Amino acid sequence: MSDIRTMERRSPLMVQLGGLYGLWLREVKRSFRDRGQLIGGVSRPILWVLILGIGLNPYFRGEVYGEVTFVVPFTYLQFIFPAVIALNIMFTSVQSAVSVIWDREFGFLREVLVSPLSRGTVLLGKVLGGTTVAVMHGSLVLILARFADVSLTFTDVLKALGLMTLLAFALTSLGVVIANRIRSFEGFGIFSNAVILPLYFTSSSIFPLDPALSRAQTRVVYPDWLVTIVEYNPLTYAVDSLRGVLINYNQFAPWTGITVIVVACVVLFSIALYDFRRI
Amino acid sequence: MADASNSISPSFPIRVDGVSKRYGRTLALDQVSFEVRDKELFALLGPNGAGKTTLLHILCTILRPDSGAALVSGFDVSRRPLAARQRLGIVFQEPSLDDRLSVRENLELHGLVFGVPRRLRRQRIEEMLALVELTEWADKPARTLSSGMKRRLEIARALIHDSEILLLDEPTVGLDAQTRDRIWSYVRRLQAERNITVVVTTHYIEEVENCDRVCIIDGGKILALDTPEALKSAHGQVLVRVTPATEPDRQAIVDRFGDRLTGAQGAELTLRSDETFVAALLAEFGTRLTALRVQSPSLETVFLSLTGRELRDRAADARDQTRAFGKRGGEHTR
Repeated sequence: MSDIRTMERRSPLMVQLGGLYGLWLREVKRSFRDRGQLIGGVSRPILWVLILGIGLNPYFRGEVYGEVTFVVPFTYLQFIFPAVIALNIMFTSVQSAVSVIWDREFGFLREVLVSPLSRGTVLLGKVLGGTTVAVMHGSLVLILARFADVSLTFTDVLKALGLMTLLAFALTSLGVVIANRIRSFEGFGIFSNAVILPLYFTSSSIFPLDPALSRAQTRVVYPDWLVTIVEYNPLTYAVDSLRGVLINYNQFAPWTGITVIVVACVVLFSIALYDFRRI
Repeated sequence: MADASNSISPSFPIRVDGVSKRYGRTLALDQVSFEVRDKELFALLGPNGAGKTTLLHILCTILRPDSGAALVSGFDVSRRPLAARQRLGIVFQEPSLDDRLSVRENLELHGLVFGVPRRLRRQRIEEMLALVELTEWADKPARTLSSGMKRRLEIARALIHDSEILLLDEPTVGLDAQTRDRIWSYVRRLQAERNITVVVTTHYIEEVENCDRVCIIDGGKILALDTPEALKSAHGQVLVRVTPATEPDRQAIVDRFGDRLTGAQGAELTLRSDETFVAALLAEFGTRLTALRVQSPSLETVFLSLTGRELRDRAADARDQTRAFGKRGGEHTR
């Protein structure tokens, strides 16, 4: 039996980093042991890319003076492909935050709160764990690239993974912010869907705002309120930047997307941390 | 450590000084002060809602006291919570394992979170698994363990890092008698082998008989604190349990000695005794009894005379509520 005090004192930073690794590993292991999450991660992209994408493909075009053209120079499958990645990341990120509620209700949080880890480390471990899982689920969509007729170079994939990581980080933080305000699992499910789906549908993910049109023309073609919502939805810019990388199509200036995502990461994580400190 | 000035007396691993805690209008702890001596097995005994868990939560820095100070190994829990936590091993009343991780993974995670270096971590995990006899279960998911095994795992986990003090909050609630005995034997063995101080809360009176000192707490106040023997001789009562032969006899005894009656179970009556009582009872009702038992002072009677009531469960505790949630289908939401 080893006596007490055989443990040499480690530097506080090493303790925090070790704990961060432990908590990250836990989140990743947990999610891989949850078949439901895996099935969701696989079935969602198949549903969206193969069924919705292929189904709507022929209708994704406009008629100008009798000449049939695609509204944007891409097929519908190509157009929604980056958005489905965002969708998969979104669902997984926000859902992974449900473990915050689980930990709080069932005691595990206590175990961590009486450890030498700071609240920031605990939160970061959780968010990074959720981010990792979400990026993996996002990558599942990338495998379908050939079916969507999207050709990718190695650098495209790297850039996309970078963007996906940032997006997943922001969305997992959002999930934690929601989870901190919700007391029950049922409530979380309803609330997260009420956030995820509207955000997704109004992010110009499944329909484009025609870039050939001027701002004034856009507002004539589409109802005013919809244009406004799409323009104010931060996810619009995230999806747009992914499109820029994957199919070389941007509706906004290319740097807008990354800026919006980084700001979202910082703001949402800060709110989550503020909430977490008060538990 | 740098904060040696903080420690008033290094020989007390835990020192609580005038701690009060209020939840809304309820005073959960009212000016509680006591010390736990080095390497002792210290029991906090009281009914549910007495303030035991609140006290423990203050010691493990989850709650802050409204007033007063609590020192763990000389560190003020309000001012140096991280230092205090590193010296505590805690087993909460509610299970706090990760059900989806294996037994070993749960211990690994704890080691990582408490900054135990890899080699020592591996070594301690094996030692602790052997000690609580869970080695064979090391790679099974924690959710497949019985509640007694989960408890043992949690005790093992609390000792993966350099804990000097082990805090156990109702470690035996919800377990059957045999498992409870086993948990206690582990606790005692650990205390001896690791040479640590153990603080345990319980509302099972029979469990504290073997503790070094017992602190009886009710309504947020300390009623008595001493060794079990000293408590018994100071506050204990001799009880006489009699079984009257017939119902009229029973009534006659109740009429005659009603003021001494402390309980009735089936036909049996429990009466408070003193030097002359047994003789008086036998003289009057000797031929009308089928059984008579004289019970020497127990902590049960100590509690009774201190609080005027018996110690027993009043409501479903959190553990049972958690279990009920799982039965209702809570498992699926994981």
